[in-house]
Amino acid sequence: MGWITNRSVLMIIVVLLIIPILMPYEALGTQMIIWGLLALGYNILYGYTGLLSFGHAAYFGLGAYATGIILIRTHCSLLAGISAGVLVACIGAVVIGFLCLRRRGIYFALLTLAFAQMLYFTASIWESLTGGEPGLRNIPQPPLELPGLFSINIYTPLRFYYFVFGFVVLSLLILNRILESPFGKVLQGIRENEKRARALGYNTNRIKWLSFILSGAFSGLAGALHTLYISFVGLEQLYWETSGKILLMALLGGPGTFFGPFIGAGVFLYLEDIISAFTTYWMIVLGPIFVLCVMFFPQGIWGTIREFTERFSGSPPRKG
Amino acid sequence: MEILRTENLTKKFGGLTAVSGVNFRLEQDEIQSIIGPNGAGKSTLFKLINGEQKPTHGRIWFQGEEITGVEQHLVSRRGIATSYQITNIFPKLTTFENVRLSVQSRKTPYNLWSKAARDDGTNEKAEEILGQIGLANRRESLAAYLSYGEQRHLEIGIALGTDPVLLLLDEPTSGLSPVETKATVELIREVARGLSVILVEHKMKVVMDLSDKITVLHEGKVIAQGNPQEIRANETVRRVYLGGVRE
Repeated sequence: MGWITNRSVLMIIVVLLIIPILMPYEALGTQMIIWGLLALGYNILYGYTGLLSFGHAAYFGLGAYATGIILIRTHCSLLAGISAGVLVACIGAVVIGFLCLRRRGIYFALLTLAFAQMLYFTASIWESLTGGEPGLRNIPQPPLELPGLFSINIYTPLRFYYFVFGFVVLSLLILNRILESPFGKVLQGIRENEKRARALGYNTNRIKWLSFILSGAFSGLAGALHTLYISFVGLEQLYWETSGKILLMALLGGPGTFFGPFIGAGVFLYLEDIISAFTTYWMIVLGPIFVLCVMFFPQGIWGTIREFTERFSGSPPRKG
Repeated sequence: MEILRTENLTKKFGGLTAVSGVNFRLEQDEIQSIIGPNGAGKSTLFKLINGEQKPTHGRIWFQGEEITGVEQHLVSRRGIATSYQITNIFPKLTTFENVRLSVQSRKTPYNLWSKAARDDGTNEKAEEILGQIGLANRRESLAAYLSYGEQRHLEIGIALGTDPVLLLLDEPTSGLSPVETKATVELIREVARGLSVILVEHKMKVVMDLSDKITVLHEGKVIAQGNPQEIRANETVRRVYLGGVRE
């Protein structure tokens, strides 16, 4: 399948590099790649392992709150704050994943939703820790520094974009590597036919759990970056609408493809930005677009593009 | 040398006894068929042996070790592979990837960092099996797009990928044309060299051609055991099963 996937990691990095120039304002680009990272993490579970989670707001929110809270309380360094976010999201995924994976299909989806909503209500009640309804405010934005070597203020729109860009590129490379590894192949096997995968000697329960945790970790990273980006954590980050938004992004871009969710996130936020400039009822415009997409391009934007290029190059579908 | 033995193996589903007190014995390198009318308990017996279901009573030994109640994925790792009656493949993966995934199952699945495409010996083994099952030229096709006959062969190929000691073949020729059936019989004969096989099959010609020994199940119970000549001559078997079947 020719140039488009073999060089697609490189290609997407180049595109991401110039996004701030293409966007009406840099912050939109930053938002796009943070949500892109979130959708990418979500897709490990949904697109590759075939597990529909309807509660990924939980790991996004856990990462966001953990980073915010630790920065407020300890005034620790930037990277320590981000690490805390990823770690807490990971722990959340370990526990919630373990419990949700006792069930399959729709029950699994409902359990993920239920746990996310529990976290949402917990955060709304536990005001002393999370700031409750108004959200977590006044989160310090520590500089990027290596003590004694350098210290840079990264909180200008353009600098912060490239700061996030660094994490996103690193995540893309790591995820690409994982999904092309023997482990990644087993995930796809489970998606295609879990019973047969188990019959082949794969401990599918444990592998699905690991996939859940990985997915939670990248979602947590997205949450941590989001906190630094706006210096605030909103309660709605844990709300089920956020989970729905993540799923929509993955569907729009093309689940089961590597870049699809990333592109879906970008297109979603771009449309939202443009349309909401004209009307506050932007969801009314965006809704039909989604319906049309799902009806006519069920493989999503990237999935459809890929199919197109394959038809021209005449080679069978592989990866990307 | 004995490779598999069951003792008083029983499986009940509510009031229904699907498998009832089955004592079964398989020698190394033997091809043994299990025949019997629909609902005789053949597929359930397979599921008990490969760990997909737990027996209600009774015990199972494989290579001298008890495997009763051992989880399915661990039974597989001990060397029992199943080829299913209803095609059970990975539809949206390529033919090659279907077999590669099976071969890879003998290694740790928790390898997140090396490239699957450049794995150690796994790809070579998968290529070899593709050649064996005659699908080398369909390497890059999605399994869903293979013909039914090709999928039946892929089904066997996936089972072989785990490098089994004992192969359970559940109606490998079901739905195949006479020509395809003949090719499949040849394939089974070839792959059975150096491993033990239990075959569930309805086509009597296939059974008589391939089997060293035959066990006849009826309503979950063993009603006869012996070599093909003995089974052909057995009055009870003729009455409950072979009576209506032309060879």
